[in-house]
Amino acid sequence: MADTGKPNKLNGIIDCDVHPIPRSLEELHAYLPSRWHKHYFSFSRPFYNHPHHVLRLDALPEKGGAPGSDPDFLREQLLHQFGIDYAILLPIPNITMWPNPTMAADLARAYNQWLADKWLDNNNSDGRFKGSITVAPQDPQAAVREIEHWANHPHMVQVLTDSGSGMNYGHKQFHPIYETCEHYGLPFAIHPTSEGLGINSPASPGYPTTYFEWSASLTFSIQAHLVSFISEGVFERFPGLKVALVEGGSSWLAPLLWRLDEGWRGLRNEVPWVKKLPSEYVRENVRVTSQPLHSPENKEHLLQIFEMMNAREVMMYASDYPHWDFDSPIRTFPKMDGDLKNRIFYENAKDFYQKLP
Amino acid sequence: MAEHVVATVGEIREGKRKIVKIGNISIGVFNIKGEFFAIKNICPHKGAPLCKGSVQGMYVCGDDLDDVRLINEGEILRCPWHGWEFNIKSGKSIVDPNRYYVKNYEVTVDREQPVDAQVETFPTSVRDKNVIVHV
Ligand code: FES
Repeated sequence: MADTGKPNKLNGIIDCDVHPIPRSLEELHAYLPSRWHKHYFSFSRPFYNHPHHVLRLDALPEKGGAPGSDPDFLREQLLHQFGIDYAILLPIPNITMWPNPTMAADLARAYNQWLADKWLDNNNSDGRFKGSITVAPQDPQAAVREIEHWANHPHMVQVLTDSGSGMNYGHKQFHPIYETCEHYGLPFAIHPTSEGLGINSPASPGYPTTYFEWSASLTFSIQAHLVSFISEGVFERFPGLKVALVEGGSSWLAPLLWRLDEGWRGLRNEVPWVKKLPSEYVRENVRVTSQPLHSPENKEHLLQIFEMMNAREVMMYASDYPHWDFDSPIRTFPKMDGDLKNRIFYENAKDFYQKLP
Repeated sequence: MAEHVVATVGEIREGKRKIVKIGNISIGVFNIKGEFFAIKNICPHKGAPLCKGSVQGMYVCGDDLDDVRLINEGEILRCPWHGWEFNIKSGKSIVDPNRYYVKNYEVTVDREQPVDAQVETFPTSVRDKNVIVHV
């Protein structure tokens, strides 16, 4: 596969959602204290598993291993083939589902050391792989220490956790994490997974039955976390905090903000720490990634949604490689004006991730 | 329409496929219960290499919605990316057959094996219990 360079006259492409996974449990266990090995015995979930393939079938590395486990193959199949400049790597350890906060914190540390070792410090001579510092919110103090440990790593560009949770993320107990993110200029990213698993509540009023229902519902928990960040005043308490909402979709954003802005006009008195219109916080502090982008029959509708949600400022491109619902940068988006395209594919992420060169 | 020999009959066994290149076009040739079908290796949805997908059947309901059955086993190709199902025989997608179809190609099997479709062979002989290949 040849390097296609920069298609469509973009300034570049930053892919904000790429998933590396360990080649095997043994590879990860090398970084995890042995007392947890018999507890962390599978990467996959006990239920809500994809009925066919959650990983792209053509993404199997030629040299063996699971999709997303071979840095060279990923570089070839994703970065070179599509002309992507930087891949923001988000491992998916399903970390928030574990009831033991010490184990969860050790798991976060294991993932971070593994990521640095296999993807950031090695196999990364061109520096195009950028990493996420996984934290376990079950133990906020340990999460803070984890961020402090990795904050100055040249390729760690954000802090990450699952959207599956037993508590909305605006809640006070998580504030030390946000204070630390703000201090180091690291965005805080939440990515769907773990809803309804382990100690986490489902994203819906009850437990979904199928993967189909479960995965469509993940977007609800992302929305609930956003409402919580705003209404708990997180962005007033930590004005420099940036939040990335990854893989939760985005077309819901405009109506949600209309509702929040309207509600705030009458209910502001209850949340006096919310000093501005909710939509203004989103504009300044929050970014959403594009995938999974919708495909309405009428492509114009998508452009109208972009307009309504202010995609020009808040949307960042993501492919979700190597997952089944991969959004290729070539055939996913409707025709857009050059400025909008550049902002979504490159500029917004370039501004958002302070540590990108 | 030009003819291209892409395989020997024995090369693609039942339930298997071979992805071949004819000029610039990548094509998957499938053997479904002894019959051969060829379709283009590009998914009409978003361009995935379709023929790398899995070959399966599909589940449908009978008159009773809870009566779930597997049909067309071995005839349905599922895209390796988003998992859309395509009927290998017609190239049509299951959910939207009029809008999304893959180009398919006529496949014929020569009654006699053409000489140029064979692997080149070399004469061998046995002498004093040694197998000798004569190149
Ligand atoms: S590219 Fe084949 S289903 Fe989307």
